[in-house]
Amino acid sequence: MRVTKGARLTAGAALLALALAACGNSASSGGGTASGDLPVRMELGEPQKLFHPGDTTESEGAEVLAAVFAPLVGYDENKQAVDEVAESIESKDNRVWTVSLKPGYTWHDGAKLTAQNYVDAWNYAANQDNAQSANGFFSRIDGWADLNPGEGKTVSTKEMKGLKVVDESTFRVTLSKPFSQFKTMLGYTAFYPLPKVAFGADGRITEEYARKPIGQGYFQFDKPFNKGTDQSIDLTRYDRFPGKKPKFTKLQFKLYTSSETAFNDLAAGNLDIHDSLPPSAIARAKSEFGERYLDQADAGVAYIGFPMQYNKTYANVKVREAISMAIDRETIADKVFSGTRAPADDFINPLLDGYRAGACAVCVYDPLKAGEQYTANNGPKTLELGYNSDGPHKEWIEAVANSLRANLGVEVKVKPFEKFAGILDELDEKTYGGMFRMGWAIDYPSAENYLTPLFSTIAIKTGSNYAGWSNQEFDALLAKGDSARTQEEGLKFYQQADDILIREMPYIPVYFYRTNGAFSQNVKGVKIDLLNQIKWTEVEKAG
Amino acid sequence: MSDTLAPAERPQNGGVGGHPGASRPPKAASLWSDAWYDLRRRPLFVGSAVLIGVLVAMAVFPSLFTSVNPFDAATCDLAQARQGMSAAHRFGTDNLGCDVYSRVVYGARNSLVIGLSTTVVTALLGGLLGLLAGFRGGALDTLLSRITEIFFAIPSILGALLILAIFRTGNVWTVMLALAVLAWPLTYRIMRAAVITAKGQDYVLAARALGASAPRIMFRHILPNAVASVIVVATINLGTFIAAEAGLSFLGVGLRSPDISWGLMISDARERFLEAPWPLLFPALFLSLTVLAFIMLGDAVRDALDPKLR
Repeated sequence: MRVTKGARLTAGAALLALALAACGNSASSGGGTASGDLPVRMELGEPQKLFHPGDTTESEGAEVLAAVFAPLVGYDENKQAVDEVAESIESKDNRVWTVSLKPGYTWHDGAKLTAQNYVDAWNYAANQDNAQSANGFFSRIDGWADLNPGEGKTVSTKEMKGLKVVDESTFRVTLSKPFSQFKTMLGYTAFYPLPKVAFGADGRITEEYARKPIGQGYFQFDKPFNKGTDQSIDLTRYDRFPGKKPKFTKLQFKLYTSSETAFNDLAAGNLDIHDSLPPSAIARAKSEFGERYLDQADAGVAYIGFPMQYNKTYANVKVREAISMAIDRETIADKVFSGTRAPADDFINPLLDGYRAGACAVCVYDPLKAGEQYTANNGPKTLELGYNSDGPHKEWIEAVANSLRANLGVEVKVKPFEKFAGILDELDEKTYGGMFRMGWAIDYPSAENYLTPLFSTIAIKTGSNYAGWSNQEFDALLAKGDSARTQEEGLKFYQQADDILIREMPYIPVYFYRTNGAFSQNVKGVKIDLLNQIKWTEVEKAG
Repeated sequence: MSDTLAPAERPQNGGVGGHPGASRPPKAASLWSDAWYDLRRRPLFVGSAVLIGVLVAMAVFPSLFTSVNPFDAATCDLAQARQGMSAAHRFGTDNLGCDVYSRVVYGARNSLVIGLSTTVVTALLGGLLGLLAGFRGGALDTLLSRITEIFFAIPSILGALLILAIFRTGNVWTVMLALAVLAWPLTYRIMRAAVITAKGQDYVLAARALGASAPRIMFRHILPNAVASVIVVATINLGTFIAAEAGLSFLGVGLRSPDISWGLMISDARERFLEAPWPLLFPALFLSLTVLAFIMLGDAVRDALDPKLR
């Protein structure tokens, strides 16, 4: 459920950015001279909403919640799910899953973490009346349909029949269909639990809680967050946390609306960690930060999509292939992104199991063949290419447009949309008929996450299938993969489904993201994990 | 201003030669020949006229200046992005590997077309309405003057942003319209004031006494004597219109790619200014020179046409 608008910062007006930067500076210089416990300062964009785990599907809020909550599972070096809060997550048939919790976890207010906390949180998030943006993640659980009868209809129950508390530290989840990746999915933000105190008398999460969430993770909130006025979110280590704790006691998220401003603050020593450097800062970051510059693969993928469902212009797969072959991914990654992206050659990102290098043969730049194939198949004389200008897309979209003009001999109209939501809305309403930019950041590390939410038939309604592409063979392979008994077996089916995508090209994969960050001399051991979050347990203060 | 207005030789032939150094034209010369005589002797005017001549040539025949056609996508080579100045790319290349020099040359056309057309529209609209209001007076004058006051109350950049947001697309004509809608009241006011002054002059009263019709008095007697100040303002404004177009394109509501505009080029290059300054500096330089040239020209024309300053 995380289509990405590109810049991980929520874009704001440029003027606002300047004003905020000014505030940020004065605040930090005040704290800089005080002796005692200085916080580790981390760059963050303003979270879209207040802090409900079930309503946080964007990266900034998720980053804060990840410090305050501990997930059921984490991911190891090999991208395999490993138990964290969970003692065990087991299933014989991939349909009925039993989750038991490790003892010793407590909420920040001292209450004990119980299985009921998970059931409460999930039932709340899955209920359409609560309008939680992560609702779709629970759609695989048996009984989800009862909580989502459709708009305008009343929900008759408050619980999914597939969720049952067995004892204080065990609960059982029954899925409506087998799903082999269920355990992997549980590391996602939406699957955090909620304490009893989160709910008000009316059964809804109180605003008081959403402003100062009480979690069971290694950091706790110092004070309620005033969205819109506060320029930082301050956290202190929760010392009763039973798992591995960070080696420092205070963490501060500083809010920025421009990643350029944040980078300048980092260079000036007013910030410690920046994990989403803009392409324009890369050259400077490399030379100024040296070993403290981070460059690592990221699981995101960027595409150019076709509105297949209602525009027949692009119906011929040969035309789509020709467009794909006319794009010089290598040079775009190198020149436009200064090496902060990698050319895409599969629908699955190389970070995850299931990726096959060079799987997509028509993703290789071949201007001659592209031109011939395009002409031979009577490709349209004019193409339209839409993008959202609130992310850093203008340059690469223009570069793609230039490639298409030069290699296919067509006229390309580039259409900027002010906001990403603008494109998505027009695609939903079927009013925009051109090609469009699309991006995907994973929710949980599984090859399946690149397929089902974006391309399955059911995702046209409940997911992010904006192409409106539908293929029965593809759906059948996904179902086989979901019900496979082992991960490896499932992967085979997912790869076969991937092959169909490559054959049909409903989207053109263009590049894989990379994460670029830098950190100050005050800290060491900064690592970014698979979900683009800093591993706080590894970070240490230097000197 | 064109050289058909007055034969250049006349003042010299009939010159009295009373003032060594600063020679004056004969008293019989008209305001226009007088001004022209004055202008030709001003380095400010000659300099700006040469500069404008070059820019107009660029706008009309860009291929004289460069053999590269920037509208042809094949001339951009992404692999050559952000190169410095070289023999092949005199001003270097931009973020997409396109030649900056040819883009700067081709960008002159849009700037001049918008500047000139906006000037003509505002001069015609504001001038005619000002003439009418000043000559007729009464209810028409009151009504038009109140309307212009409403326009004066709108901050110009904000107003232009609003108008362009309504159109949703930016091209030469929408930008021209947005600027003209907001700029005509100024011309109107100046024209109206000049007409009211001229209306009370003896020659107008004489014409009226002789039974001349209202249109005849307006166009034959008042207009030629009131138009000078409008021309001065129009010339100076031309430069500011060009700057305003660049500003709107920079903000993303003016011209859009694939149209070429200096403002757009500056906007595209600003993020990587430290890495590659050329794609920003050259269009900025041309923009400044153009605006400067028109403002200098306006200054020179004003000095020549305004007898009070002489």
